[in-house]
Amino acid sequence: MSSHREAPETSKDPVADNTDVYAFVSPDRPDHVTLIANFIPFQKPDGGPNFYEFGEDVLYEIHVSNRGKAESDVTYEFRFDTHVRNDKTFLYNTGPINSIHDQTWNRPQRYSVTRVSHGHKAHLGDFLCPPCNIGPRSTPNFRKLSEEATHTAHGRRFYAGQRAEGFHVDLGSVFDLGTLRPFQSLHLIPSADALGVDGTKTYNVHTIAIQVPISELTRHRTRPTNPMHEDAVIGVWASASRRKSRMLDPHTGRRIGHGPWQQVSRLANPLFNEVLVPMAEKDEWNMRAPRHDSKFAKYVNHPELGRLLPVLYPGVFPHLARYAKPRADLNAILLTGIPAGVVPGFQNFTGPVEADMIRLNVAIPPSHKPNELGLVAGDPAGFPNGRRVFDDTTTVELRAIAGLTIPLVDPSYKPDAAAGGITDGTKNANPPYLDRFPYLGYANGGYQTKPGTSAVSGGLKSV
Amino acid sequence: MNDPSRRRFLGVAGASAAVAGASAVIPSAAFAGETHRSAGSSTESVVAYVSDTASNELTLLVGEREVVVHDRDLVNRILNAAGK
Repeated sequence: MSSHREAPETSKDPVADNTDVYAFVSPDRPDHVTLIANFIPFQKPDGGPNFYEFGEDVLYEIHVSNRGKAESDVTYEFRFDTHVRNDKTFLYNTGPINSIHDQTWNRPQRYSVTRVSHGHKAHLGDFLCPPCNIGPRSTPNFRKLSEEATHTAHGRRFYAGQRAEGFHVDLGSVFDLGTLRPFQSLHLIPSADALGVDGTKTYNVHTIAIQVPISELTRHRTRPTNPMHEDAVIGVWASASRRKSRMLDPHTGRRIGHGPWQQVSRLANPLFNEVLVPMAEKDEWNMRAPRHDSKFAKYVNHPELGRLLPVLYPGVFPHLARYAKPRADLNAILLTGIPAGVVPGFQNFTGPVEADMIRLNVAIPPSHKPNELGLVAGDPAGFPNGRRVFDDTTTVELRAIAGLTIPLVDPSYKPDAAAGGITDGTKNANPPYLDRFPYLGYANGGYQTKPGTSAVSGGLKSV
Repeated sequence: MNDPSRRRFLGVAGASAAVAGASAVIPSAAFAGETHRSAGSSTESVVAYVSDTASNELTLLVGEREVVVHDRDLVNRILNAAGK
């Protein structure tokens, strides 16, 4: 999925597994940009007694490039510290948690935020996380706890803690040889068409979100108003790093880190490492900086999934099957940004350096009528101009890989009819998105959330 | 690596083995010769890493720093100590 368990190493290290990144001009505060990085995928809400938390031994970062070199010109660093109030109990909470300051929360976590720009460090504050959403006896008013943990300092907003998963995708089908339930009668191994199933329903993630003035992120520290000006575009990605060496301390049972921080996970565009980069290179990709992504450009220019679609859906993508040119459309969308002249009145080009970044044109205001399909549906405030929490990036990227965006750069190409219609058929089935910071829904509760359908096997119903 | 800094490392390496609770106790004879810690020696635990036993490169991880030294004698002595 977006980037959950997308590489062999990160799949074994969920605390450092960056699952989704969002960057958008804040609809309720349009002179500010919201940057969100999610970690710790597939959180089953009742997963106690050691509920989910950020890693004290992980350096979390959100990076912004504003000089067209795909380098980190502004970095926000997040470091977490966990405190055990009562070390004589196994309980996460020793009574109801009515406030994030309550002594009944036995394992509070707090974090510090540092802004780094060209060697200059500024400490932005120390803040408390909320607890996980345990249930009505432990966290009786979880919304209140979440609001308490939404901090404002010097005009910036901060949140770090559990939220409902905002990304939706039919995991069970897409990983079953690329099936899309609404169209599976056309699959190489067919079965009756069906409704999509949101594989992330009931799950939570851990979110790091900040909201900062646009002028804090741009090259000349201004708020650009001309979307066609190069200064209006920023590149965004997030990362998680661990110390280069970790020794097991038998006296405490914990790991001791030595040496400098080594990046172990990074993310910008959803599905980049997951779907485009071959399995054998995914771990290396995670450790590299985006400015070195030219090595992986061949996987964007000739995506494996683009070759698989005509095979998995025989006769459905004949035009795509015959298209042998490098995918300049995907290269622009994912690696350089879309230059001026491709989409009237729009660009998010960051220069020739090929790098996986979410590119956000901050001069484009939030949409009054947002479309979850973003730019391809005529909404320039949405993906791939940044990424909002509700953007249906799975559908957008599926259709792009299926050839829908080729005519942007190759007008002679006529997309297959199916390219404009394919989807996994899912919608967000988790608590609804919010219209205010941090925009992702409140976390699912452990007591309140019921396990879903279970099945070991079952035959395919014939078409 | 000059001689004083090598001695400094040997002292630190010995401390590292103790801190890490190494499964094999390294006899002091493995690091023959008297060593003294300088005023600037590390007070933090250190991890020493020889990634390529054919090279003379030794990586020291201390705090949030990584120190790479090239010293055939030092690497040989570490490999000898780590061997049978």
